[in-house]
Order: sequence, then structure tokens, then C-alpha cells
Amino acid sequence: MREMIKMVVVLTVLSAVSGGLLAYLRTATAAQIERQELEFVKGPAIRQILEGAANDPVNDRFKIDVDGKPRSFFVGVFDGTPSTVAFEVTGKGFADAIGLMVAVNVETDKLAGVAVTTHKETPGLGARAKEDPSFTAQFKGLPVDKPVQVSKDGGSISALSGATITSRGVCAAATDALSQYRELKPRILEKVKGFKK
Amino acid sequence: MAKTLVQEFTKGLWAEIPPFRLVLGLCPTLGVTTSMKNGLGMGLATTFVLVFSNILVSLMRNLIPSKVRIACFIIIIATFVIVVELLMQAYAYALFQTLGVFIPLIVVNCIVLGRAEAFASKNGLLASTADGLGIGIGFSLSLAALGAVREIIGTGMFFGYSLFGPNYKPFTFMIQAPGAFVALGLMLCLMNLVGKK
Amino acid sequence: MPEAKKLIVSHAPFIHDGSSIAHRSGQVLLALMPAALAGIFRWGVPALGVIALSVSSAMLWELAFNKVARRPEGIADGNAAVIGLLLALLLPATAPWWLVIAGTFLAVVIGKQIFGGIGANPFNPVAVSLAILAVSWKQFLDFDAMLLTYDPGFVMIEPLTAAKAFGTEAAARFSSLDLLMGRQAGAIGAPFGLWLIVGGLYLVVSGVVRWEIPAAFLATLIVVAAAFHLVDPLRYAGPAFHLLTGYTLIGAFFLATEDSSSPVNFWPMLIYGAAGGLMTILIRNIGAYPDGVIYAVLVINMINPLVDKIRPRALGKVT
Repeated sequence: MREMIKMVVVLTVLSAVSGGLLAYLRTATAAQIERQELEFVKGPAIRQILEGAANDPVNDRFKIDVDGKPRSFFVGVFDGTPSTVAFEVTGKGFADAIGLMVAVNVETDKLAGVAVTTHKETPGLGARAKEDPSFTAQFKGLPVDKPVQVSKDGGSISALSGATITSRGVCAAATDALSQYRELKPRILEKVKGFKK
Repeated sequence: MAKTLVQEFTKGLWAEIPPFRLVLGLCPTLGVTTSMKNGLGMGLATTFVLVFSNILVSLMRNLIPSKVRIACFIIIIATFVIVVELLMQAYAYALFQTLGVFIPLIVVNCIVLGRAEAFASKNGLLASTADGLGIGIGFSLSLAALGAVREIIGTGMFFGYSLFGPNYKPFTFMIQAPGAFVALGLMLCLMNLVGKK
Repeated sequence: MPEAKKLIVSHAPFIHDGSSIAHRSGQVLLALMPAALAGIFRWGVPALGVIALSVSSAMLWELAFNKVARRPEGIADGNAAVIGLLLALLLPATAPWWLVIAGTFLAVVIGKQIFGGIGANPFNPVAVSLAILAVSWKQFLDFDAMLLTYDPGFVMIEPLTAAKAFGTEAAARFSSLDLLMGRQAGAIGAPFGLWLIVGGLYLVVSGVVRWEIPAAFLATLIVVAAAFHLVDPLRYAGPAFHLLTGYTLIGAFFLATEDSSSPVNFWPMLIYGAAGGLMTILIRNIGAYPDGVIYAVLVINMINPLVDKIRPRALGKVT
């Protein structure tokens, strides 16, 4: 009986101590881990579409609650004015969801660029949406009030050959992002002001 | 019978060097050694877990009831593995991305549990620390060596430097999974050849 | 022999019929000669260079490894030469020199010696080597790229690659006679169907190779290819096309029959060969690779110990 109690006590104490330690460590590192994730997963895409910004867009970010959930917006400062914001949307790809980082110029209401962040598309076909800069370059300068479409559907984007579904998914995500932008524009403008230097 | 601390430490470096002599812990050995950096990172993560779990198991060896000792060891090891994972995520995210699933797998690495069961639960604090350090460093060196061989032959590069000039056509087989088996086998063969002399 | 004497086994010494590993190797080399000569004739000096380099480097690797591992030197048994020649006949004539040397190293050392030398290799050394080469240096094994070097006056498109990409329409551009005579882009020796058949039959007749394996291999290949062709004649080429292209014939007669990686009993040999023919067509028609012979040979090498458990019942044994 004594051994039984000892077993229970030792295991319980051990688990409790280990659980407490891990819980503490998790909260202690949470902020750093979030920063690292931004840096390594979304950072490259953000830097790519906000190329030439005077600030570090990954650091200069703010959050807006959309439908009760906070969403991150990244600000790019060009020529001294915080003119561009980037945010992430998801679209439906051929295999799985495609994460798309979309940057919009708030002064001219034009797309400043898009870049794929996460995807599971076929290597060599759909995956070129991320790797081939000439595909995403087509999005630059499109107006925000019109849906983005591939040329097959009457738009101006020429689809990746052999990856029409991926191309359509990216376009749909971009269109979605633009409609969100129009909706959120007043709130975005308000927040962006704070980044003026 | 009383071995000196130095002996406990050095046995891990040659006589009982883990993947080559004990042929334990092959999963990470084969999985992550596509480059020297990955091998070394994995080795150091394992060393950290090994040393601290050895210390803790050794300290608690009189407290832990023998019937639930494996469960206790696993709790201790798992705690340290999660500590490593969180720290790596927070401060070495790039390494975390490449090692990925192999970090949580340290929990079931036979070397760590094996040292806890076979050594630390029967020996004092200092001897267990020396043992953990020795085995861990031996493991790191082996992984680094295997990673270096595969990286040099498989890509012609070493830490990003091209070794053989632009005319070298990388032997990509070596950095793929079957190449890991062949490379490990040949290194074992070489060690036996040298050891027998 | 009188009936009564048949069952009497005397004790040693037995009469030796003179067969040896060296003799068998010599027979295989001889059987490969027609295809090798046809290859040299067709592809010229580069082909001769690849063959010479391959055979010599294979023998040197064997010698070097035996020295390092302090094993008895086995270079005189001719097995390394057979490996070298077979590998050369599977490579394109445009293969660079280092590819050939690396290939023979993989075949002789990784494929054969580290398993314990001749007779101990679980896989066909040549197939192992070629599979590893194809994984690492695909661009140098591309038969279509030979078009840049050669203009022999016939369609210089590798038939299997063409059929994979464009379906039966492309396959129809090759007449069976052309394919049989080796008028197709391909390796140094593998395209010369007629000469491979002649060599293969010689091996069967001289007893070096048992007829069951190539027969089962080719028969199954024909049946499965025909079945695919009947289901969708537009997508899958017919049996004659599959029989005469790629590594089919050299694979059936020379690769699948390698001594230590193939079974020895009757039924196992049939199953082993049939599995090879089936896998070849499955890989070619459904899989990602244009030619499936190398992987098919590796797969059947793998099932070899398993099928060889099917043994004839021992005489007088009560089960």
C-alpha cells in the first residue's frame, strides 16, 4: 500500500511540476515565437511585395478586429508616407488553401502587389504561383474596385500554363482581399496615420 | 570498477559513440543529416535533453518507484524536449523549420531513454552528467560527420561554399533517403576498418 | 543410365563437368557481343569508349575493393567484366566518362561487394547502379538528348518517352521491324532487339540461363500490355511496341536472370519472371517513369527470397 501511494504521489508531483514549467515557458516565449513565425513564414512575402519600403513592414504592424477576430496589417512607408498596407487572405487552390499576402496602396486605391505565402500546390505547375515572379507581377497596379480574373474568365491575368485552377484561386483570393479592403478602408486609414514619420 | 569521470565522458566519443557503435537512434540519424548544420543542430538538441534528463533522473533515482520508472523517465524527457522545441522555435526558427517533426521525436529516441534506464538511474549525479555529455557530444559529432559527408557529396557544397567548382554535378542520391542508408553503412564499414587495425 | 543406378549417390570425389564462374561469365559476355557490336557500329567511337571504360573501371573497382577489404581477388571470375559490359549497354553513348566510372563503382562496390561479393548480392548490381544514376543524374541518361549528337536517318525520339507523352499516335511512328533492328534512339546495346534475342537464346541453349524467367517475363509483359491496349487503344501502346522498346529484352534475358538475385526452382522462376513483366507494364502505363524495367527488376529481386520458399517436395519426405 505504501508503495502504491508513493507511485501516485511521485507521478502526480512530477507531472504537475513539468506541466507548470511548460506552461510558464510557453507564455514566456509566445511573443518571440509569434515574431519568428512572422519573420520566417510571412516575412519573405511581405518584404517581396513591399520592396523598397523605408521601414521594416514586419515590425510596423497593427491589428483590426474583423468579425471578432484580430487580423494583422503590415504597413509599408514609401517616400516618408505610410502609403501601403499588406494583409493576408486565403483562397482555394487545387490541393488545399492558398495563403496570399496582398498589398494595397491606400492613396491611389491600387494593388501594390501580391505574393503567395503558404500553399500545397503541385510542384512545377501550381507551385509556380509562388516561385514565378512574372505571374504575381501581373497583379501590380490593378484597381481595387474591379474583381481580379484570369483572361479566360474575361480578366487581365494570364493564367499559369497547366495550373488554371491555382491561378483562379489566387485571383479569387485577391478579389476577396480587395472587397475586404474596401469595407475596412476607413479603419485602416485611421490606424495607418499612426505610422507617419 | 569505479571508472573516473573522464572515462565516463570519453566512452561516448569513441567506444560507445551512439549511432555508429550502439546503432541506436537511427531515425533522426537518417532523417535530418542532409547537411552538416542540420545534423549538428539535431545533435545539440539531443545533447541538451540527454544531459538534463540524466541529471534529473540521477537526482531522483532513489525517489522513483521501480514499477513506474519508465513513465517517470518519459515525463522528464518529454518535458525537456518541449523546452528545447519552444526555445528553438523562439530563437532558432530556421533550424526549427528544417528539423520539424524530428524534435518532438527526441522523446522516443532510444539513446535518451536508454541512458536514463541503463546509466543515470544507477549512478550518481556527476557520473550521469559526464555520461550524458559524452554520449550527447558523440551523437552530435556523428550526426555532423554524416551530414557533412552527405552534404559535400550530395550537393558539392559545404556551408554554402561550392567545393568542387561549377563543373561538379551533384550526386543528389546522397541527400535523399536511400542515400542516408548507404552513407551510414559505408561510414560504419570505415569505422570497423579503422577500429580493427 | 539404367533405371536402378539413377538413385544411387556415391560419395566424393565427384566428376566435375568443367563449369565455373569464369566459364559462365564468358558465356554471358559472348552472348552480349552481338548487341555490343551493333551498338558500336551504330553509335560509333563514343559507344566503344563507354564500353571500354565501363568494363575496365568495373574490373578495377573490383580489384581495388578486394585489396582494401583483404578479400581473395575475384577479378578473374569475369563477373566484374559482365557487370561493366551490361551497364555500358544500358547507358547512352553520350554518357560522360565520370558517369560511367561512378556507375561501375555503384554496381561493383555498392551493388555487389559490400553485400559480401559474388553470389551474396540481393539485388542485381547493374539495376542498383542504374537506378541510383537515374535518381542523381537524369539529364545525362536522357536518350532524347542524343539527337544533338547523332543523325542516323531515323526518328531520334526515344519511343517510350514519346509514347508516354503523346499516346499511341506517337508509338505508331515506329514500325516493329525498325524497333527490332534497333533503329530507335536508346542505350548503346538495349535497342538492338534481334541481337539481344539471339544472345539470350544462346544463353538459354547453353544452359547459363534457365528459360523460365525470360519466358515468363516476356509472356506476361505481352499479355498485360495487350490487355491495357484493348481497354484504351489510344492511350496505351500495343504489346509489340512494349516488347521491342526500352530495356525490355535486355532486362528479361540479362538483368532478371542474374544468378544470385533470381530464384532457382521452377514455379518460383515463373512467378518471379511474371511479376517482372507485370511491374514493367504497370510502371510504363500508370507510373511516372517512361521505362519500368530497372525498377521492375529491383522489385522482383526483392520478392526473390520469398518466392524461392516454394520448393518442390523432397523425394520420400512425409509431410
